[in-house]
Amino acid sequence: MASEDEEFTMLFQDFYPSLCRFLECLLGGRAPLAQDLAQESFLQLHRTAWGTLPVGEARFWLYRVARNMAINEFRRSHTRYRLFDRVVEAMRPRARNPEQEYETQERKRLVLEMLQTLPEDQRTALLLREQEQLSYREIGQVLNISESKVKVDIFRARATLRNRWSKRVRTIGASAS
Amino acid sequence: MSCNFTEKISLLIDGELAPQEAREVERHLLNCVECEQLRADFLNLRSQITSFETSLQPAVENHALKKILPAERRVPARGLQWGFGTQAIAFATLLIVGAIIGLILYQSSNSRGPASTQVAVQTPSPAPAASIENTEKPKQAAPQESPAPNRGTEQPTPNKEDKKTDNPRRTPKRPPVREPKPGEQFASIPERVRSADAQTMTAMHFERSETLLRAFRNVRLNEPGTAAEVSYERKRAQQLIYQNMMLGREADSAGDVQIASLLESLEPILLDIANLPAKPDEDAVRVIRERVERKNIVALLQVNSTALARALD
Repeated sequence: MASEDEEFTMLFQDFYPSLCRFLECLLGGRAPLAQDLAQESFLQLHRTAWGTLPVGEARFWLYRVARNMAINEFRRSHTRYRLFDRVVEAMRPRARNPEQEYETQERKRLVLEMLQTLPEDQRTALLLREQEQLSYREIGQVLNISESKVKVDIFRARATLRNRWSKRVRTIGASAS
Repeated sequence: MSCNFTEKISLLIDGELAPQEAREVERHLLNCVECEQLRADFLNLRSQITSFETSLQPAVENHALKKILPAERRVPARGLQWGFGTQAIAFATLLIVGAIIGLILYQSSNSRGPASTQVAVQTPSPAPAASIENTEKPKQAAPQESPAPNRGTEQPTPNKEDKKTDNPRRTPKRPPVREPKPGEQFASIPERVRSADAQTMTAMHFERSETLLRAFRNVRLNEPGTAAEVSYERKRAQQLIYQNMMLGREADSAGDVQIASLLESLEPILLDIANLPAKPDEDAVRVIRERVERKNIVALLQVNSTALARALD
């Protein structure tokens, strides 16, 4: 029992932060909600699938469940941004100096804004590729789609983001001059 | 984009092309400016997305893990497999709670009774009681109670301890908790600790503990010299543990919740290190280290010692 818990703790420590990041990007920010959903995914893993899953599968299982939860959340509160989330986000302690903090927040905001313009399936595939470095086969496994769909989704996501990014840069350049 | 290679560039940067095909695309990139720009843009996008930092705080992570793994099922601190059931744990908890309540009642009754204070004053003891609460004590009693040579001494031999503490053990009405372990580092701390002194001592204690935990984190495993390396950390933890308890009580009585809780979470770790066997098991060392990491205690110590030092400045 102890060694199982130990293994689970190690898995948690390895993947909880990256699962939070994945969910945060998928949800367009809303860090507290992302953390709740990540915790809920691990809880489900521990209660239902831990011990029965083959070694190495747990990670894919987690991302699949977390993504489903995020989709449920989209449906439930598509336009609603919980006040609580905003309050928590505003009260979050910030350790860096204000200038650095501002830059980081701006960059984060821009990335999230860009990602939100993508359809959900393309966004998820791209995040799993770029942030989690999963192969196309693994992404297909997580999202339950074929490798060729993964290939197309990722390419389209990149092409869309590239166009928007260059437009954005042009707009910033024009406003600066 | 008009080039036929655009989709393959996405595959190329993901390493999803067969080697021969990858070489072909690379050759194409040498001649096609448009595709080269596309690759650069895709890589730039990648760096933007991967550099996204999550807003996760270590405390939130620890809290989440605690919620998932019930406390009694979490990995034991020193890798021991306890065979106690829930009932035994409940019984032990009751005992501890009872002991704490008894202790509090005993202390409060003791501090209220003037007779007991007088006894304490009339019976000077060579080993100090390290009692912070005993403020009514006249100043002249203090010098007798703080033998300077004890400050900073490492673990003395048991014989010496017996000699030093012979008198205080006979002293009546001394609350058992206030009784210091003889010969320990904190034995030379004056009874009445002023708040500034306490802060200085706490800051120093945090610094020492931080150094110890860093050293412990760097202990090399899988090497024949493991036992010898840990012996220093053990000794240091033994020195720090009683000071930790004393400062914890001081912080408690001063109502400094933050410092008290940090000292409280430091205590079991110091205890674990101090109680490591002469030739510790690799797992035991690793489990303590993981606990230190999980609690993020080194960073907390650093932050608090700096904050205290600043406050004192």
